[in-house]
Amino acid sequence: MTKPTPKEIRATAELAGVPVDAEVAARIARSIGPAFEGFAAVAGTLPFDLEPATFLLVQAEQAVK
Amino acid sequence: MNIHQPGTEPALLSLTEVAKAIAQKRLSSREVTQSCLDRIKAWQPRLNAFMAIEAEEALAAADAADARLSKGGVGALHGVPLAHKDMYYDEGRVVTCGSKIRRDFVATSTSTALQRLKDAGPVRLGSLQMAEFAYGPTGHNSHYGPVHNPHAPDHITGGSSSGSGSAVAARLTFAALGSDTGGSVRMPAHFCGVTGLKTTWGRVSRAGAMPLSQSLDTVGPLARTAEDCALLLGLMAGADPEDPTAIAGPIPDYAAATREPIRGLRIGVPASFYVDDLDAEVAKILDETIAVLTREGATIVKVDLPDQRQLSAACQLVLAVEAAAFHKRWLIERSDDYGAQVLMRLQNGLAIPGVTYLEAMRWRGPALAAHNAATADVDAVLAPVAPVAAPTIAESDVGNSPGAEAVIQRLTRFTRPINYLGLPSLAIPSGFTGKGLPVGMQLIGHSFAEAMLLRIGAAFQRATDFHDKVPKLA
Repeated sequence: MTKPTPKEIRATAELAGVPVDAEVAARIARSIGPAFEGFAAVAGTLPFDLEPATFLLVQAEQAVK
Repeated sequence: MNIHQPGTEPALLSLTEVAKAIAQKRLSSREVTQSCLDRIKAWQPRLNAFMAIEAEEALAAADAADARLSKGGVGALHGVPLAHKDMYYDEGRVVTCGSKIRRDFVATSTSTALQRLKDAGPVRLGSLQMAEFAYGPTGHNSHYGPVHNPHAPDHITGGSSSGSGSAVAARLTFAALGSDTGGSVRMPAHFCGVTGLKTTWGRVSRAGAMPLSQSLDTVGPLARTAEDCALLLGLMAGADPEDPTAIAGPIPDYAAATREPIRGLRIGVPASFYVDDLDAEVAKILDETIAVLTREGATIVKVDLPDQRQLSAACQLVLAVEAAAFHKRWLIERSDDYGAQVLMRLQNGLAIPGVTYLEAMRWRGPALAAHNAATADVDAVLAPVAPVAAPTIAESDVGNSPGAEAVIQRLTRFTRPINYLGLPSLAIPSGFTGKGLPVGMQLIGHSFAEAMLLRIGAAFQRATDFHDKVPKLA
């Protein structure tokens, strides 16, 4: 997973209905880039049969204990 | 323990002590409320901890509480003056959420957590300052001004529960609700020298609490002691039809847990990440905390936790998207009404594709399972809340400058992973730097194991007096 470029961020923000100018897009890219880099080792590796609610199942195991 | 003697300032007692003193008629609610109001009058110009002060209403409520006491059947907080972070909806009252956008917002319902506390009979002192929309870890607020640290007014309180940390530390309120989405209870507890409990995600209903990130938001108290936090959690915890994520099931006796010794417990200390790049004084206080817990009979063991940087990154992705989604309408219609830093951080969420957000959400289960496996052999994990003590207000006033996000991420790097995993964590005052700045450590527990954290925290506080240090008004 690569971090988004300012150009891609402008397009994504436009699609989200909250357009931003080039300066803001460049600032967003700097701010959020490290999060993309930090998550890169996980992105694209998750098994097919996994959904967010799995978290609740794992958490509930502890609640029972 | 401070047993109230005639002539001592009632506001200096702990929540548990003052509740007992009022119930036993050793103190009246009016005496206690007046004591808090006197301190608020003296400290507020220095701290900016309160958003609103309701002195006359509070005294009238205190008189009513005193009159009711003779009839019996009163709650556990009867007549105790309290104030909370200004994000808990209270029907008919203005709840600003620390923002310009909601400066005149009048709540049409009352949050479940707040209602459960109100049912126990406290007196409302007013409302407490906070970071705008709870989206900031320092205590700065561009609309209402920064909140100041009672131990060193040129220094930050931490956020986003800035007023809660400051007011509890200065003994202006006996306790306060905060909220913790990325560290917002634990950061002010650490910087201000008070006890703060980040609850397990699902332990306390979030209904009627201003949302920031539905997957990460938690309700929790800041107070002077673990015993006080136990009292409040016992009142708030449990299922709620208004919030289906609040789990059902029996509520542990948290107060009883605080009286249990810790001999034989196993406490893990991370082998990396939480012990890397610490300020020297924070590292020393970590070692001293380990020594106290060892003397109390706990066994300290090293634990190898999974990669915390990945957890932190995942937390950032989830938080950014969910916050942007909550705020989208105002981002379109009222973007000029946000402070610069909050607007900047909300805009970050616009850059994250839906698939990336959902990957971060899908990974939560396996990430929690890996953490559980790594910590299966210990009762809790001990770690610093932050790598540094409170920076000055000036040096952390980064606004929306190019390096602002990096400053924010550095301050919260030890708290965010815990929010992503939804785990409970108790921040306890653990020492002071040479300049007199408080330093807190966090005890990180297994899901829903708040009782264990409160047990360890209370034992630590029986053996130390860091939580008793009252800041002096210069």
